Amino acid sequence: MGKILFVSNRLEKIQQYAGIFDKKPYEFFTASDENSALETVDINNPDIIIFDSDFNNLKHLLKNLKSMTTSTSFILLVKDEKIEYDITKYINVFLTDEMSETLISSIISANLKTKHSLEQLSDTNKNLADSLYRLNVLYSTSSQFAGSLDKEKLVDYMIEGLDKSLSFDLTCTLAFCTEKEPVLLLNSLYEISDELLSALKLRTVLNYKSLFEDKNPPFEIDIDTLKIVKTVKYPANRFTFTLFQYDNMFAPISLGDNFFGCIEIFKETPFTSDDATCFQTIAQQVSLPLKSATLYQEIKETNLKLEKLERLKSEFISIVSHELRTPLTAIKNSLDILSGGKCGEINDSGQKFLSMAQRNVQRLAGIINDLLDLSKIEAGKMDYHFANMDIHSVIDYVKSSLSVVAKEKGLNLISEETPDLPEIYADSQRLEQVLTNLVSNAIKFTPEGKTIIIRSHLADASQLNAPNCFKNDINKLSGKYIVVGVEDQGIGIAEKDLLRAFDKFAQIENSLSRKVGGSGLGLPIAKQLLQAHNGAIWCDSELNKGSRFYFAIPVSTVGAEAEKNLILN
Amino acid sequence: MKKILIVDDEQDIVESLKFVLEAADFICYCAYNGEDGLKLAKDIMPDLIILDVMMPKINGYKISRLLKYDNKYKNIPILMITARSQEEDKLIGEETGADEYITKPFDLEDVVKTVKKYLG
Repeated sequence: MGKILFVSNRLEKIQQYAGIFDKKPYEFFTASDENSALETVDINNPDIIIFDSDFNNLKHLLKNLKSMTTSTSFILLVKDEKIEYDITKYINVFLTDEMSETLISSIISANLKTKHSLEQLSDTNKNLADSLYRLNVLYSTSSQFAGSLDKEKLVDYMIEGLDKSLSFDLTCTLAFCTEKEPVLLLNSLYEISDELLSALKLRTVLNYKSLFEDKNPPFEIDIDTLKIVKTVKYPANRFTFTLFQYDNMFAPISLGDNFFGCIEIFKETPFTSDDATCFQTIAQQVSLPLKSATLYQEIKETNLKLEKLERLKSEFISIVSHELRTPLTAIKNSLDILSGGKCGEINDSGQKFLSMAQRNVQRLAGIINDLLDLSKIEAGKMDYHFANMDIHSVIDYVKSSLSVVAKEKGLNLISEETPDLPEIYADSQRLEQVLTNLVSNAIKFTPEGKTIIIRSHLADASQLNAPNCFKNDINKLSGKYIVVGVEDQGIGIAEKDLLRAFDKFAQIENSLSRKVGGSGLGLPIAKQLLQAHNGAIWCDSELNKGSRFYFAIPVSTVGAEAEKNLILN
Repeated sequence: MKKILIVDDEQDIVESLKFVLEAADFICYCAYNGEDGLKLAKDIMPDLIILDVMMPKINGYKISRLLKYDNKYKNIPILMITARSQEEDKLIGEETGADEYITKPFDLEDVVKTVKKYLG
């Protein structure tokens, strides 16, 4: 099919061409003056115009027509070879008077085919450009989705994306995510009257309820109190009820069991299937970030609760520390005054009970100190004073401070140290605390007449040997370590209980620690202190034969580096 | 005889400190809140002050600072009694000028020994 206009003053040619083209599949028009040519083009928009080169003032006509048509093919019928150059630039194809009708027919037919192909190509290009634009919108919308955890913004991005890709006239979004109560977001091209607004509200709520059929909707909506947020682009114009004759699409915004709302969109011109896909894609895409945003909000709330709990814990520890210590001090002082005989002689039996009271006051003080230490370590508030130091000084201090207690119990406390051990970078007070705890435990659990040995040696991490349950801790170590061991000949620990010895919760339950005194928090604290030193603590034991507790502290590299720097300087 | 001022809102603790210090031949003056303690310190010019940290009205740290920055009183040794509570931890970063810290529960004999170190 093709429309052909033949412009000529030569009657014989008009007749000849009418003979060829005034039949199907062609529509044939003729013009013998400029005005009728222009009029035909204006009304019929021909695919091809054939100009006779003899036509009066042809150049002028060509110029006029070129500005009226963009895709029409111009063909020139040439009488002889004398053609004005100015004319040829408007022409796509040439015919001559001498050409046979068959040839003319095939040339025109080929030309029409080419023209149709070009038109198709141009349509395809246009579609591709549309798709590309839509893809760009989808891409930028999903980038926006990915970059936000704010539910209100996410819904805004969704509406913005829909506007860009579908150019809607109106959207009604029922959102359950922005606040505790649902909100109806109306994004409209024109102003909405109160009557129309009521109708839209009702329609949206019915749509919402229809999503859940027999089931109860997740949220109850009171249509009278439903909050409305209206955004109007051109408030000078108004929508009427003809809006409901517009094409529309509706989709829920949900992910699995999580329901965030629903959206309906209206447009005067019909939506295509591509529009529907795009709409569904955006409505679905927003659900995942909305879910993430919900989770994020929950995490934030949980964190706030945890922070509050942490504060309460700190306050509690503070109370434990201050409010318990003060009365304890008064009790201790009174007992000390009494047992010192400063208020008169106390008989042996009285002295026994006074000592019992004093021992338990001491024990209570120890428990309070341990609780405070543990809470400080866990809160990361423990103060450490690291410095290069010699492990011998720690061993000497603990040995001398506990030798009296050991002697009182008839125990032999000795040390077997490796001389000239390299320095370690540590907090001496904390290491004294660890070693004091280990030796005190040994004293507690070892029967009279036996020996407790404190040993020290240098070892490579690969040489350290510990029962399987401590392998994880040991395997983390690398390089050189100073290892301090406390060996006793006490009651020992069953293999299954070795790890439990360092567990703060298990120990509080332990009846043994109750029998011999102490909070049972000493070893868990020691473990944390060693971790802060990048070291490790472990034990090895045989029931009724004795236990061996070890801790390892990395050899200092600080001193060596400082020395190197000194030489370099 | 040397004069010692004991400032603590815990009467029982003041009582026990007073008992052992008087037995060691010191004269003891007592105050049960920070305000009275500061006033008494200025009135009697004690030879040493035993000061609790957490007290109503003016806390021990503040009293210590006020006295240690005053030329008239700065040479009076101050023994600070602390319960190592978290409120105290927050305050302890500040310069208080106290000469000694004693942690509750303390040993009375140790307190007497420390006092004698300064007033012996």
